[in-house]
Amino acid sequence: MRRLAKLRVRTAALIIVVCGIAFAIPIVVGAASTVSMQEVSEGLTCQCGCGLTVANCNHPNCEFSVPAREQIDGMLKRGMSGPQVIAFFRGKYGEKILSAPTTEGFNLVAWIMPFAVILGGGALIAITFGRWRAKAPAPSRGDAPDSSAARDADGGGFDAELRRKLERELRERT
Amino acid sequence: MPLIGTLALALALVLAGYSIIANVVGARASIPSLTASARHALWAMCAMVTVAVGALSTSLLHSDFSLEYVASYTSFSLPTIYKITALWGGQQGSLLFWTWLLTIFTSLVAFQNRRRNPDMTPYALAVLAGIAIFFLGMLNFVTRPFELLAVIPTDGQDLNPLLQNYWMAIHPPSLYTGYVSASVPFAFGAAALMVGRLDDSWIRSTRRWAIFSWFFLTLGNLFGARWAYEVLGWGGYWAWDPVENAAFMPWLVMTAYLHSVMIQERKDMLKVWNLVLIGMAFALTLFGTFITRSGVISSVHSFTQSGLGPYFLTFLIAVVVLYTALLLSRVKQLRTPAEFESYLSREAAFLFNNLVLVGIAFAVFWGTLFPVLSEAVRGVKITVGPPFFDKVNGPLALALIFLMGVGPLISWRRSSFDSLAKTFASPAIFGVTTGVCAFIAGLREWYVLTALSLAAFVLGTIVVEFRRGVSARRHMVGESVPVAIVNLIGKNNRRYGGYVIHIGVVLAFTGIVASAFFKTEVKKSVKQGDSFQVGAYELEFLGMNTTETAHVETSRARVEVRRNGRPIAMMEPAKLFFKRLQQPATAVAIRSTPAADLYVVLAGIDDQSGLATFQVFLTPLVFWLWAGGVIMALGTVIVMWPNVRERAVIAAAVRVPLPIQDDSQVVPGGD
Repeated sequence: MRRLAKLRVRTAALIIVVCGIAFAIPIVVGAASTVSMQEVSEGLTCQCGCGLTVANCNHPNCEFSVPAREQIDGMLKRGMSGPQVIAFFRGKYGEKILSAPTTEGFNLVAWIMPFAVILGGGALIAITFGRWRAKAPAPSRGDAPDSSAARDADGGGFDAELRRKLERELRERT
Repeated sequence: MPLIGTLALALALVLAGYSIIANVVGARASIPSLTASARHALWAMCAMVTVAVGALSTSLLHSDFSLEYVASYTSFSLPTIYKITALWGGQQGSLLFWTWLLTIFTSLVAFQNRRRNPDMTPYALAVLAGIAIFFLGMLNFVTRPFELLAVIPTDGQDLNPLLQNYWMAIHPPSLYTGYVSASVPFAFGAAALMVGRLDDSWIRSTRRWAIFSWFFLTLGNLFGARWAYEVLGWGGYWAWDPVENAAFMPWLVMTAYLHSVMIQERKDMLKVWNLVLIGMAFALTLFGTFITRSGVISSVHSFTQSGLGPYFLTFLIAVVVLYTALLLSRVKQLRTPAEFESYLSREAAFLFNNLVLVGIAFAVFWGTLFPVLSEAVRGVKITVGPPFFDKVNGPLALALIFLMGVGPLISWRRSSFDSLAKTFASPAIFGVTTGVCAFIAGLREWYVLTALSLAAFVLGTIVVEFRRGVSARRHMVGESVPVAIVNLIGKNNRRYGGYVIHIGVVLAFTGIVASAFFKTEVKKSVKQGDSFQVGAYELEFLGMNTTETAHVETSRARVEVRRNGRPIAMMEPAKLFFKRLQQPATAVAIRSTPAADLYVVLAGIDDQSGLATFQVFLTPLVFWLWAGGVIMALGTVIVMWPNVRERAVIAAAVRVPLPIQDDSQVVPGGD
């Protein structure tokens, strides 16, 4: 009976949390709209020397980003796509105006290298683990993990480390 | 004042040099009186740098324009608070401030360890003094804060308007504190290598310093983001600017280190890796300074650029080469018989967490330096901006959040699929349900769906852990739930403080994802009395109000915000004009709620037509980025809170009696 009551409480709590999320999400989604102007201006670097994107340049009367934003807006309103607008600016100012490296030639290295390093690191971990595993003595039967997550079987759901700490605490109290 | 400051800096340099020699000779020849003398020299060095800081601050406050620094970064009309913060607003002052923090921390370390770690401490102090020598050398010979002008101007040039903001008063000190305090664990790591004391005593002795550094790096990054949000007026808070990246990388590596040392403390594994990580974290703090000051990469943080780049680069290379050589010389002794049983273990989860954290740090490093590499290889200087960093780091951030949920709950040594299923069932169901609800509600971006599911999964795992702990205390000690929660955190502060930090990270991550994907922007030019709609809000331009002080002219717009026809706020975005510098600036108005921020910028005013142009951003859930930051800070305070039992363990670990002690006995003490 107690288990059933506990289950009900948990189910009720889960339903409340899920309903909360379900109500909260439309608030976030409702704020969404097309951001192509933002996307395009994020894709271009301001040429005023601030080092930021056209979208983010903070100079109030910037001679580059302010007219560029107006130009992008006009081009998008005339029906040009984001990539077309970016291609137009690239043609006019060269590769330096792009806010991210292209995916061709030497620039490809920029994109590949971080993942290659992580994969290499993962492989190194796997090889090292393999060696350590080979050296480690085989676990005997009943050799339980020394884990904080090695849960007690009494249904209390708390771990051995916590139990040891509590027992020590109780001993110290008395 | 200039003479006092100059003499104080010269004396500090001499004292730092003496301290290195006395520490090393005293330790090698076992002359305790010499190491004690070295310690006193470090305290005197700190006093001298304090005198120099006092001298410069006094000159700034009294507008002594005979000093080049004061004339370059202040003016008569600059408010007093910014005359004080101008100390770190320019090149020489910020270096002096950095050096001051370094000497304070060095003095604290010398004091803390006057009776502890007698074998390692002299070498650690020598390393810290070595770092101080570099900075003091810069201040004495290369970039002098007390340089006098031949002709004294009638007024100063004033402080950059972007720096005249209260976040700038606290962002650089926080970040510098984080950077500089990373020197302490680095110095002890190097000292451990020098003396061959390769157990985990150097980690235990500097654990609080490492957390302290991480705490201030977190705050520094957050305050910087908040500064960008409030001052730069583009509705965002992070632009992947090289200097932002330079502050982010040490934070990532320090986070990896704080997780990795848990494995060494528990399993006596990863000794080399931990030494590599702390070396990397320290080198990245120097790299950050190099980036900020060299001008090698264009950045929004151009106010401290100078010709110091080559000096910093040389020092950085010297540190990396010497530390690597030291590490390689000890690598055989650092190898311990490691035990590893299964990929389904906490040590595996922590190692993969390290891989992802260092991987993100590498991606940021690579993206920051790629323009320089491209120019060297192809002769074309390209830009690596937000789209690159978002695309590369986005998936890695998801992996990190996943591992953050798995790591704390999985067993050490090995775990079975059955126990994993039992442990993770509820959080996994909660995560998936959240994702499904989000999909039903209309979200279609796979990244956001995954991010929300993972965030819910991690929160679920933390709730499960707290529930288990509370149940245990209720079952065994008979405490009420609130008392059990307080005692659970109080008596296991490292573990549960860590979970509080994880809650903060998840909330901040949710805020970042929502604000990145769902920010909307409206730009409108309106006349007085006109209204326009932004999402659910109606904004009415009521008029302009102009005020003027000796320092700045302010044109403030009054905008009434209504929701469902009911007025809910009056917002006052403004345009500022700094008279001395003849520079305009923007003061944004922000209405922040847990659901969304309404961010209004007065983009322009046309006096002839009477039109005011507003740029308005509606950014959902960005509130949770800052709230998450506050929770992370709270969690870090919990982790750092003194724990009597732990202090006893540290004291036992660090006590190594010397044959002769100079002025005291070896007694227990915590850090």
